[in-house]
Amino acid sequence: MPSEAVLIGLSFVAAGMGALGGLGGAVLLVPVLVLLGLEPALAAPLGLLSAASGSLAAAVPQLEAGLVHHRLGVTMETTASLGVLGGALLSDSLSAATLSRILAVVALSSALAAGLRKGMRNLPQSTFDGELGGEWPGTLSGAYQAPGGVVPYAARRVPSGLLAMVGAGLVSGLSGVSGGFIKTPIMSEIMHVPVKVSAATSTFTTGFTAATGLVIFASQGRIDVAAGAAVVVGGLLGGTVGVLAQRRLSAPRARVAISVLLATVAVVLFVRA
Amino acid sequence: MTTPFNPRVDRQRRLARFLRVGAVITFVVAVAALVAPGRAGTSFGVAMVGVLVAVPLIRLAWLARRWLRKGDRRFALVALLLALIISAGAFLGR
Repeated sequence: MPSEAVLIGLSFVAAGMGALGGLGGAVLLVPVLVLLGLEPALAAPLGLLSAASGSLAAAVPQLEAGLVHHRLGVTMETTASLGVLGGALLSDSLSAATLSRILAVVALSSALAAGLRKGMRNLPQSTFDGELGGEWPGTLSGAYQAPGGVVPYAARRVPSGLLAMVGAGLVSGLSGVSGGFIKTPIMSEIMHVPVKVSAATSTFTTGFTAATGLVIFASQGRIDVAAGAAVVVGGLLGGTVGVLAQRRLSAPRARVAISVLLATVAVVLFVRA
Repeated sequence: MTTPFNPRVDRQRRLARFLRVGAVITFVVAVAALVAPGRAGTSFGVAMVGVLVAVPLIRLAWLARRWLRKGDRRFALVALLLALIISAGAFLGR
C-alpha cells in the first residue's frame, strides 16, 4: 500500500484532473494504484471513496448552475445500482489478473470516451429566453442555461438507457471506478440529453454508485480506512480545485491530456496482466 | 407551449447548504482519521465512510419527500426503490 502522503497526492491530482475533464477521478486513481502494486480488489474500495468525495466536492457548484436533473439521475441509477451490486459481489471472486484486464479495458474505454466527446446537439431556443433552467416536474425533460441562451431537452430511449446503465454499474462494482465516463455518453449519445447536463447528472449519481459499492465492501471488511481517509482528503481538495479550474481552463484540452494518460495506463496494465 | 419551469434557486438553497456541511464534515472526519492514533483513527475512518454513504441517501430522502409533497408520486417511488437497492448491498455483501 502506498504511503498516506502519496495517496493524498495521487487522489488530489486524479480528482482535480477528473473534474476538469468531466470523467471523475477514480478512473485515473484505480489503474495508477494497481500499477503501483496494489491488489485490484483493494484498489476498488479506494476508487469508490475517491468517487464519492469527488461527487460531493462537485455537488454544490453543479446544483447552483441548474445542471443536475435529479429525476433523470435517480431513475437511471436504479438499474446502475443493480449492476454495482452484481459487480461488487463478483469482484471478490475474480483473480487479480482478470481485474487488471478489466481495469485496462475500462481505462482504454475512458480514453476513447474522453477523446471522442462531441460538441452541442441541443441548441438554444429563443422562445425560452428569460426562463430559469432546471428540470420539469414529473418528466425527464428540462432546460439549462447555455452561453447562447436557454436550451430545452427531453430524455429519449429511456429503456435502452436503463439497460446500458446496468453495464456501467457492473464496471463500477467490479473495478471501483465511478462509471461517469460510461454514464455520461449513455445519457448524451443514447438518450440525447445535453453533455453538460449528462455530466452533472452523472456526477450526482456517482454518490449513489459509490454508496452502493461501499456498503458491500464495508460489510466484506475490504475498506482500509486509513488509506481511504487519505484518498478522501485528496479527493475533496482535488475535486474542489478541479471544479474551480474548470471555469477557467479549456475542458477539451484537459480531456485530451487525460485521454493520453489513460491510454498509456491501459497499455501498461494489459502488459502487466 | 406552456412554461413548466420552477424557480430552483430558493428550493435548492437548503440542499446546497446541506451538501456543503456534508463535505466539510467528511473532510474534518477524514483528517481526524489520518492524525488520530490507533483505534480512534479507525473509528474516525469508519465514521467517514458512514458520512459518505449517508449524504447521498439523505439527499435521496430529501428529493423523495419533495416529490411526494408536489404530487410527483412516480418519481418518489423510484427514489424509494433506489434506496432499497442501495440498502440491499448491506445484506448481500455478508
